[in-house]
Amino acid sequence: MRFTPTELTEEELSLQQQVRDFLQEELPPGSHEPCLGMAANKDKAFSLKMAERGWVGMALPKEWGGSDRTAVDRFIVVEEMLRWGAPVGHHWVADRQTGNVILKFGTEEQRERFLPAICRGELGFSIGMSEPDSGSDLASVSTKAEQTTDGWIINGTKIWTSGAHENDWFVCLLRTSPMEDGNKHAGLSQLLIDLKSPGLEISPIPFLDGSHHFNEVTFNEVFVPDINVVGDLGMGWHQNTTEMAYERGGPDRWLSPFSTVEQLLREAKGTELEETVSDLFGELVARWWGIRNLSLSVARLIDTGEAPSIESSLVKEMGTRYEQEVVEKLVHLIDIEYSPDSDSLFERLLAQCVVTFPGNTIRGGTIEILRSVASKGLKGLPA
Amino acid sequence: MTEATGVDELVTETADRLFTQICDHESVQNAEAAGAAPEIWSAFAETGFPWISIDEDRGGSGGTLLDALEVLRLVGYHAAPIPAAETGVLGGWLLASSGHEIPAGPVTVLPNGNNITASVSGDQMTLAGTCTRVPWARIAERIAVLVEVDGQSMVASVNPKDCVIQPMTNMAGEPRDTVCFDGAIAPASPCVAGVNPESFRFRGALSRAALMAGAIEKMSQLTVTYTNDRIQFGRPVARFQAVQQHLVWGAQEAALARMAAETAGREANRGPAFFEIAAAKLITNQAAARATKACHQAHGAMGMTQEYPLHHYSRRLWSWRKEYGGDAEWSKWLGNAAVSQGAEGLYALVTGGSSVLS
Repeated sequence: MRFTPTELTEEELSLQQQVRDFLQEELPPGSHEPCLGMAANKDKAFSLKMAERGWVGMALPKEWGGSDRTAVDRFIVVEEMLRWGAPVGHHWVADRQTGNVILKFGTEEQRERFLPAICRGELGFSIGMSEPDSGSDLASVSTKAEQTTDGWIINGTKIWTSGAHENDWFVCLLRTSPMEDGNKHAGLSQLLIDLKSPGLEISPIPFLDGSHHFNEVTFNEVFVPDINVVGDLGMGWHQNTTEMAYERGGPDRWLSPFSTVEQLLREAKGTELEETVSDLFGELVARWWGIRNLSLSVARLIDTGEAPSIESSLVKEMGTRYEQEVVEKLVHLIDIEYSPDSDSLFERLLAQCVVTFPGNTIRGGTIEILRSVASKGLKGLPA
Repeated sequence: MTEATGVDELVTETADRLFTQICDHESVQNAEAAGAAPEIWSAFAETGFPWISIDEDRGGSGGTLLDALEVLRLVGYHAAPIPAAETGVLGGWLLASSGHEIPAGPVTVLPNGNNITASVSGDQMTLAGTCTRVPWARIAERIAVLVEVDGQSMVASVNPKDCVIQPMTNMAGEPRDTVCFDGAIAPASPCVAGVNPESFRFRGALSRAALMAGAIEKMSQLTVTYTNDRIQFGRPVARFQAVQQHLVWGAQEAALARMAAETAGREANRGPAFFEIAAAKLITNQAAARATKACHQAHGAMGMTQEYPLHHYSRRLWSWRKEYGGDAEWSKWLGNAAVSQGAEGLYALVTGGSSVLS
């Protein structure tokens, strides 16, 4: 494990400036309610505008509609979007991971069918991993796909499926052959499922504040054609693990409270609160600077062809805890009864952070699971 | 040199090998008891390492500030009981920036020298006042005293024999002596532009960040090894999720501290780096606190003994955390910088650092 310091090149800085100019024009401060990181609103029109500039699926090859840009370029775009609180929800999953999975493991036909549409910002994807009896122990999934003449019949239930009620497609980890003794990682496969398929039912699992992100998706004899199997049969676990490496360690794991902090500074400027929060801002900018450098160095490593799974697990574990720490520091320091319908944007955002951020150290793999992954990787290091 | 902003790999290899040979647990322990480690210093000085980043025509060893900070990182990693930072990037820098000769032996500086008063007559300076917590003053050949006289930063190269030195230590048993200057007379000369009490404070913080990054990394690695070797309930304690938490926290803080120190070093090596250094010192300070807690907890009672080496690193970290600025000083400095940027400039500060502060 080694995080090598890196910095943005002239071209990369110019991309950063282009994204900043775009946001300043499209979403000037005060014109929109900032989103809290990747739990962002879905705004297809906004996704299409980003796609016009080549910023959706940008790391995918040109032949499939992408821009052949690097992981660092994607880091820059994602970073600027998230710190601005931009509504990136519609293309988020496709851009971060599904596009990569289809490129890496999919058939030529699947690449042709999905990648250009992803890069145009058109398609929204959900991910089907957890089930009522499978959470952190993901390999125990039991939703079954059984082979028929030209496809698969699926029965079972997926839960915590974000956005299934709004998205188009579902990348699902399913059991395509029965669990063998002692090898629960075998017999799993990834299938692409149309969320409008007959027999597929979507019902909301209301979030703790009543909002609708999560769903339960039940399969009742849902037919999926053979051509929708991603990669080799039985390789779903391996593919899924690879996918997780893309999912971890990026700006989405440490920038979620930034809009809230920025808004605090905006509202505190020139008031007596400014002095109260000054030292805290010192600590926050230092930590953000430090964690950002780690996260950026992971993106740079990916561009050298490495799969820095230990490094990205360490950054995600630290970043998501940091997000919660930021909120706790704000709550501790500022003695107001913030309310979700306050006139103050800062108060509204803070209330939302307090209520939703416990999920930050759970989504995409709990920090306990991440520690287990990372600590095994630490063992080989020289002492 | 691997690249324009990189560290000479030979420096890393040679320094690591040297310290591995001469700074084992026992010799570091003995140095603490004796209050000095002349044989470790001699072996270190023989390589020319103490004077890296000081131009050869000024009596140094050449090389970049990055190379010098890499040596300091390894000094921290091996808990080498020598005034490496004081002799090179701090004292050597002050002497070379003011045209003084670089002595063959150790040099020290005044981390808290604000209360020293000076009067200048020609090229001689007469000093008065007492300075506390001067690293290794008892073995120094020269004390590089930086003072402002009529708005001009000047350095006096003081012979410690002209001072009264009272031995004191920090929590790691490293010499942090009290030096009384009353009546000391020493040759003095003005500094080149950019060398002043403020830039010295930042450079001191940068030196500590490098030392601390090394010590935290070593502590983290010791902890991984120990918990994988230590068997309880029939398996290595590292297999327990509760212990894994400490391993991961230690490794994260090590990575964060090293990244911060190296990034600050890179910026300082090529221009103004006030933001990066302030952030790096605050980060390493807090990383030291979190990592020592995690690593001690994972070691159990063994980490609380003198016979096991964890304390060489943890006690140094607790001490270095307070040298050249504790958490309050740097968060205040950074807070002023952040607030002065305003909401619109806040993220540009995170990404652009000193380049956006003018």
